[in-house]
Amino acid sequence: MPRRIIIIGAHAAAVDAASAARKTDRTAEIILLTTEKYAGYSRCGIPFVIGGHIPRFTDLIVYPAAYYQMMKLDLRRETTATNVDTKAKTVETTDKAGKTGTLPYDSLIFATGASTWTPPIKGKEKLGTFSVRTIEDGERIDEAIKAGAKTAVVMGGSLIGLEMAVGLTERGLKTTVVEMLPQLLPVMLDADMAKGVQEMLEAKGIRILVGKGVEEFIGSDKVTEVVAAGEHLAADIFISAFGVRPNTELAAKAGITLGDTRAIRTNLRMETNVPGVYAIGDCAESTHMVTQRPALQQLGTVAVKHGKVAGTNAAGGYALFPGVLGSAVTKFFDLEVGSTGITESFAKRSGIEIVTGTISGKTRAQYFPGAQPIKVKVIVEKEMERVIGAQIVGNEDVTQRINAISLAIQKQMTVRELSKSDTCYAPPLCETWELMALAAEAAVMRLR
Amino acid sequence: MVKVDGYEVPEGLFYSKEWFWVKVEGDKARLGITDYAQKQLREIVFVELPGVGGSVKANEPFGSVESVKAVSDLVSPLTGTIDQTNPDVTSKPELLNEDPFNKGWLLVITPSNLNAELAALMDFNKSVEWHKSMITKG
Repeated sequence: MPRRIIIIGAHAAAVDAASAARKTDRTAEIILLTTEKYAGYSRCGIPFVIGGHIPRFTDLIVYPAAYYQMMKLDLRRETTATNVDTKAKTVETTDKAGKTGTLPYDSLIFATGASTWTPPIKGKEKLGTFSVRTIEDGERIDEAIKAGAKTAVVMGGSLIGLEMAVGLTERGLKTTVVEMLPQLLPVMLDADMAKGVQEMLEAKGIRILVGKGVEEFIGSDKVTEVVAAGEHLAADIFISAFGVRPNTELAAKAGITLGDTRAIRTNLRMETNVPGVYAIGDCAESTHMVTQRPALQQLGTVAVKHGKVAGTNAAGGYALFPGVLGSAVTKFFDLEVGSTGITESFAKRSGIEIVTGTISGKTRAQYFPGAQPIKVKVIVEKEMERVIGAQIVGNEDVTQRINAISLAIQKQMTVRELSKSDTCYAPPLCETWELMALAAEAAVMRLR
Repeated sequence: MVKVDGYEVPEGLFYSKEWFWVKVEGDKARLGITDYAQKQLREIVFVELPGVGGSVKANEPFGSVESVKAVSDLVSPLTGTIDQTNPDVTSKPELLNEDPFNKGWLLVITPSNLNAELAALMDFNKSVEWHKSMITKG
């Protein structure tokens, strides 16, 4: 009997798990279950379809039907896993037609993702409030814009919220962002770095309200206004980007242990407390490489890495997941924003003493036409003098600097080593002194 | 040769729905994977082929191709005995990506039931339609 691997989910983490499982076991029966009509698409691309950078939502489908056929993956769309019995090793399912079934498994992978969550706000049940998770969510927002929406309010000033605010602005909507905390991007950036981002967004016409909450939705059956900090804001469209919560009900009901972050607890092989049962992606907890504490990083890049490890292990192979640093990058209009490791404010909340180094420079030799501004901040733990975080904001060349500093953190590089790193130079591409090294040097000076 | 959404489909070949092309060369047939297949697999790093003198059977796997992320069986479009295997693709699997219809060929076989099995394959026009349908299906 070939091994049977069931994966609950069919997006970033799940499809990578399935691919890794197939590479490990050429004869296994591999089944992916998804409640959705579309599978294997990039959720992260939705704001960029709204903004008009990508023509169609279906362009976000990374894996065409042929891929599943080539890899002999049994993809079952619009099929819900309703119950898991880890003793009998079975998954109960219900398909679109309401037909139920029981599937036995040898290995099981939870890739159940996360759901958007809107706090209990007065009038929440009214129409015209949207979240951003599925292609259908994106299509509904797109239809509302095409139907003539002129104003939008986005609740949540983190990655998705701001990406959506930018997309809506690019489509001509007068957009306001309401963020509860006193700064934008509170997970990625410190206030000093977020300030520049906020100023740029405001210069592009987005109204930003920080340190404010949404209090009420106004409108007869459909939202037309939102009340925030006592002020009435016009809102033909309201986007809830407050946050996402891991989908753990099915796992918890099956006796799978949840971790400190309320996501499914996993070990280094992405295995849960039940042998042969794995959890990956937005529903799964892993370990932060700096703090060595449980962390929930709901990022596409984490999801695919989780998936590869769990898929390999579920198919009888051996792979470990080394942990997360929270490396993330995005682009708002022309501005790139990136972050890795921990922020200064997170370090302070965690009792980690730090020094920081910040440097502003240009992305090319300062005399070279088209040189763009860029700002690099590094965060250094004081006692060991190791680099533990970085944030970069600039009009180009942010991504690979974030990746380079991520490597430095993973290799536990000291700030002195980073300040002496061997780097390249040519006038059209960068300055003679690499900005990461200069930011490190600024931090070294504060260690004296 | 036409391109369907960036995927090459040369004329004069037969095509299977397991992403193979067949070129009839006298009483022999040359086989390989299509441009669509290699683009789905991306950088191919390993090709596993049977030996000369062995046999292949229509719709049955005879080997596999593996890329960094994917692995796929090679499913023969025809039945026959193997006269030649491409010695270059095992040492340079990237030939399947670079030139799937020429330098990246996989087998030359002597088919045993050519006419009947060719009838079950797609000609150029049908293959173009099939490629289009795969792309719109997503």
